[in-house]
Amino acid sequence: MTSYQLDDDGVVVIIGSGAGGGTLANELAQRGIEVVLLEAGKHLTADDFVNDEWGGYEMLSWLDKRTSSGTWRVAKDHPLTPSWSCQVVGGTTTHWSACCYRFIEDELRARTVYGEVPGTSLIDWPITLADLDPYYDLAEAKMGVTRTNGLPGLPANNNFKVMYAGAKALGLNVSTGRHAINSVPYDGRPATIQDGFTITGDKTGSRWSTLNVEIPRGLATGKLELRSSARAVQIEHDGAGKASAVVYVDAAGVTHRQKARAVVLAGNCVESSRLLLHSKSGRFPDGLANGYGHVGRHYLRHLIQTVWSVFDKPVHMHRGEIMGGMIDDFVRHDPARGFAGGYYIEMNSMGLPTTAAFMDPGWWGRDFASVIEQYANMAGIFMSGEDMPQAGNRVTLTDEVDAYGVPVANIHYDDHPNDLKMRVHGYKTLTSIHKAAGAKRSVEAPAYPASHNLGSNRMSARPEDGVLDGNARAWEVPNLFIADGSNFATGGACNPTLTIVALAIRQADFIAGQMSAGEL
Amino acid sequence: MSAITAHKDPKLPPAVQLPEGPDWVNSLTLFDAHVAETLVAVVRTLYPHEGLPERVYRRTVFQFDTMAAKAPGAAQTFAELIDLLDGATSLPFIELTESYRVRALKGIEESTAFRLVQRSAVRFLYDDIEVWQAFGYEGASVQLGGYVNRGFNDLDWLPDPPPGV
Repeated sequence: MTSYQLDDDGVVVIIGSGAGGGTLANELAQRGIEVVLLEAGKHLTADDFVNDEWGGYEMLSWLDKRTSSGTWRVAKDHPLTPSWSCQVVGGTTTHWSACCYRFIEDELRARTVYGEVPGTSLIDWPITLADLDPYYDLAEAKMGVTRTNGLPGLPANNNFKVMYAGAKALGLNVSTGRHAINSVPYDGRPATIQDGFTITGDKTGSRWSTLNVEIPRGLATGKLELRSSARAVQIEHDGAGKASAVVYVDAAGVTHRQKARAVVLAGNCVESSRLLLHSKSGRFPDGLANGYGHVGRHYLRHLIQTVWSVFDKPVHMHRGEIMGGMIDDFVRHDPARGFAGGYYIEMNSMGLPTTAAFMDPGWWGRDFASVIEQYANMAGIFMSGEDMPQAGNRVTLTDEVDAYGVPVANIHYDDHPNDLKMRVHGYKTLTSIHKAAGAKRSVEAPAYPASHNLGSNRMSARPEDGVLDGNARAWEVPNLFIADGSNFATGGACNPTLTIVALAIRQADFIAGQMSAGEL
Repeated sequence: MSAITAHKDPKLPPAVQLPEGPDWVNSLTLFDAHVAETLVAVVRTLYPHEGLPERVYRRTVFQFDTMAAKAPGAAQTFAELIDLLDGATSLPFIELTESYRVRALKGIEESTAFRLVQRSAVRFLYDDIEVWQAFGYEGASVQLGGYVNRGFNDLDWLPDPPPGV
């Protein structure tokens, strides 16, 4: 096993081993660059995972306290867990449902295409689809995304048959979609056995994750050292204002200081913004890279919601891959709909435990009971839509500190009128699809804790509009990078992981190029 | 209901077995019989499923007791709930009929105590394998080879989509 010294200032230190950090670690190691990968969580294996919704949640989730405020319903339903990510080697790629869709060109030019939307802080991305497309190609190949590179789509399951029947009756464009889940054996990993538990860790390895693909390959190069149960608490800089070390606490509670040639934050939105805000100094009094005050701001979490419907006959939606269905008719921005941006419709299924918990938190009594006891006859359909960036929707630090001495984060989110219009449009569409398939009753479930966390350290074309340049490098700290969804300039509509991975591969090229040129 | 068999992941501990009859309360660490039986009545009023036996609700309250034994804050909150409900009318909550129980619960819906109990009831009741079996949720499948050969696409009351869709 490769092991670097704490005072080795030639290593790139990456904080977080999920889609962005785990991919970047491997990509840098493949280019011969020495990397220390810090992960706050444990190094679990497929054998540790369980086919159990609550068991998996408790094993994988980042459960440290957070607080929430604002008009979003999550602040009422899940006040101390407003955002959901994982604390484990592999990060949130141990949990995800593997939907892999690309941003469309218009989404990368949101400010130009949508025009001025009052109350928002919309900008265009500093990069274009032409910049991203080659990296989407690489990401899809490494992840084994279905319907790319000759790989077949996932087969239709019971829940999809319902979605298909309804969508076809309404003339919508429906397929099982594109997923980083093997429909056939690929890249040494087996085809799915349709166990239905992709979000509690993947026991068979049919789904791509950084745990089962990127990190082992990075380690095999001899250039990557993984330190698990290593909780980063501060980023330090030198007299020239460059990031110089990461302070972290190991499983025994011992504090270490790892020197660094460059530092990459990839801890998901909340933790990456929190670490920057906490890393204050005389030179950076409001937190690292926060000279323009954008760190933590413009937080996005997508317009996520589900409709659960009850049918006369059994569906058994829990059988098989959970999100193998997609409708893309509403993705493009269409001013005639009365709101900016678009949304994907996707299939959704959950087991009985989480269907009951998230269908409408707080709902009880005979009506609820009459719905949930028909679980076997229920189908689920879901949307992921673009929410509007607002400067006041943000991650901040509270006065309370955690066990590591770092302030607990608060997440503030107010719904924008555009969000409400899109949510209403989406609920109508989702319900109409199920009605067209014969639904007896449809229940509009609200958003659950945010899992598409985006935008709180955004890229921008001008330093005064964001935190990062087009390579997700901090405007103010030339050897500090971000490789998680917090670097998104706007949210787009699609599930973000594919784009996080594509951006990480692109960033690896940039970092390697800078190093070769003696610039980093 | 449907001809399914529910499974918990074999790595997880089996469901707790409580004695049938009033002795079940002796399995609890913290709650006395009044608290325990009142909580059973609360959970049944929140989530009234005629087909479910009393032992399912008792197991949910057993989980509350485990929570309370681990966390003094939770123990205090459960005690507050009992006080609120017993104080809601001139009769103890356990003596009330359903409509009065519902009214008493609605009256405290905004309290921290109600919230803890309602959320915990959902958390544990619908995670009980006997409830899974009753409502047609099969649960863990990887140890049986998943659902790929066990009905992941057996819905037959709608037309099959074309292959490769």
